[in-house]
Amino acid sequence: METNITHDTICTPSDDVVARKIEGEIVIVPLVSGIGDADDEFYTLNETGQAIWQKLDGQRTLKAVASDLASEFSSPKAELENDVLGFVCELTRMGMLVAKR
Amino acid sequence: MDGKMTYSIEIQQSSLWDKLKDKRAPLSFNIEVTARCNNACRHCYINLPEDDSAAKELELRVAEIGDIAEQAVKLGAMWCLITGGEPLIRPDFPEIYLMLKRKGLLVSLFTNATMVNQGHVELFKKYPPWDVEVTVYGITRETYERVTRKLGSFDMFMNGLNMLMNNGVRVRLKSMAIRSNLAEHGAIAEFCRKLTKDNYRFDPQIHMRYDGDPMRNSEINAERLIPQEVVALERAGEKRMKSIQQNCSTLINNKFTHKECDHLFHCGAGNWIFNVGYDGKFRLCSSLCQANTVYDLRKGKLTDAWFNFSPSVLDMRSHRKEYLETCRRCPIVNLCLWCPAHAHLETGALDGTTPYFCQVAHARADSLISRKQLGDPYY
Repeated sequence: METNITHDTICTPSDDVVARKIEGEIVIVPLVSGIGDADDEFYTLNETGQAIWQKLDGQRTLKAVASDLASEFSSPKAELENDVLGFVCELTRMGMLVAKR
Repeated sequence: MDGKMTYSIEIQQSSLWDKLKDKRAPLSFNIEVTARCNNACRHCYINLPEDDSAAKELELRVAEIGDIAEQAVKLGAMWCLITGGEPLIRPDFPEIYLMLKRKGLLVSLFTNATMVNQGHVELFKKYPPWDVEVTVYGITRETYERVTRKLGSFDMFMNGLNMLMNNGVRVRLKSMAIRSNLAEHGAIAEFCRKLTKDNYRFDPQIHMRYDGDPMRNSEINAERLIPQEVVALERAGEKRMKSIQQNCSTLINNKFTHKECDHLFHCGAGNWIFNVGYDGKFRLCSSLCQANTVYDLRKGKLTDAWFNFSPSVLDMRSHRKEYLETCRRCPIVNLCLWCPAHAHLETGALDGTTPYFCQVAHARADSLISRKQLGDPYY
C-alpha cells in the first residue's frame, strides 16, 4: 500500500532494517529481502541524512523535524522541509522508513 | 544541503572505510557453532561425530552466542560468519542466525548443504544471508562419498544445493583438492563455475586437526597432494596464477623486511577478524589453537580479549635458532602455508618448521621463475 507522504506525516524506522552507529556514522542494514535496491547491500547516510534520521522518532511530523533542523543548521526552513520530505520519500520507497500517519 | 542522502555502496568506497581501515578493529568474526558434523570427511581439521555428546555439551548456547555477538557489535563488527562443523546440525540454527541478523550483522554461512531443508530455505528467502558458501567434495556419488565417508551424502548434498540455488539464495562454491577427489578436480571446477557467477575457489593445501588426533592427522597426511600436483593445479587456473604472478614481488622478497626480527606473527591475525570456537574460546585466527594463544570468552569479555590479550599474543617471539635461520628469514615465506598457527598444528610448536610446506613453497617459486624464463605472457 502506497502512503502519501506530506509535511504532516510522522515517520519511524522500519522494523525490517537495523540501524547502527559505527565510528559516528549511521549504517542501515536490511534485515529482510526487498529492502533498498538489492538484498546484499548496506547503506550509509550523508551528514544531512543522518541528522534527519536521528529525528525520525515516530513522534514528530516532518514539518517539526525540519523546524528542529533549521535551528541547528541555520538553513532556510522551506529548503529543509523539502530535504526532509525528499529523504523520507526515498527511504520509505526503499522500505527503510514507515509512515505512522 | 545536497541531493542524494542515502548511499548503497561497497564499504571500501565509503567514508566509514576511511575511518576504519587504519584502525585495529574487529570488523568481522567467525563463530564455530559446533565442531560436530553429519559427514566424516577425511581431510577435515575439526569434524567430530554428530552424536559426540561431550562436544555437544561444550557448545555455546544461543544466549552465549548472542552475548558475544553483542559485544562484537559494540566494538564495530559488521560481518559474521557462521561455521562449524556443520552449523545446520544444530536444531536451533534458525534462532542463532536470526539473532545475529537482528543485531545488524551481515551474516554468512559455511555449510556442506546436506542438511538444508525447506525451513532453512524459507528463512534465507525472507532474511537473506550475505552469502552461503558450500564446499563441493565431488560431483559424482563415488568421489563425494569417498571424501565424506557417509552413504547417501551425495544425494543430500545435491538436493540441498539445488534447494538453495532454485530459491535464489546467494551461493558461492568452493572445493578442496585432495587425494580422494584429485581425478575429479577439473570437473568439480567446471561444475562450480557453471553454477555460480562468483569466482570459484579451491584450496590445494590442507592443514592438521585442531584436536591433534593422531589417527585423523595421518588420514589428512594421506590426502595431501605432492608439491608438483599443487603447482600443476594452480598453474591450470589462469586467474589464480595471474594473481600469484601479479603479486610476485611481494611473494618472493629477497629483502624480507623482518628478517632480523624475532616476532612470530607477521600476518594479519588479530587486526580485523577474530574467531570464536564452539566452546567459547577466542582465537586470533581460525587455525590458532595453541593453549597460550586462546582466551575463554566464558570467563572474560571480548574487550579484554581484543585489546589486552591479543596484543600480548601478537608480541610473542621465538628464540629457536632453527626457525630464526629458516622460516623467519625465508624470501618465499609468502608462498608458503607456514605461519605460527599451522606450525603449531603440524609440530606442536608455534615456531616449528614443516618440510612439506617448504617443498610446496619452493615448487611454487620454481614455477614462477621458470615461467618468467620461458617468456610466459602472463608473467
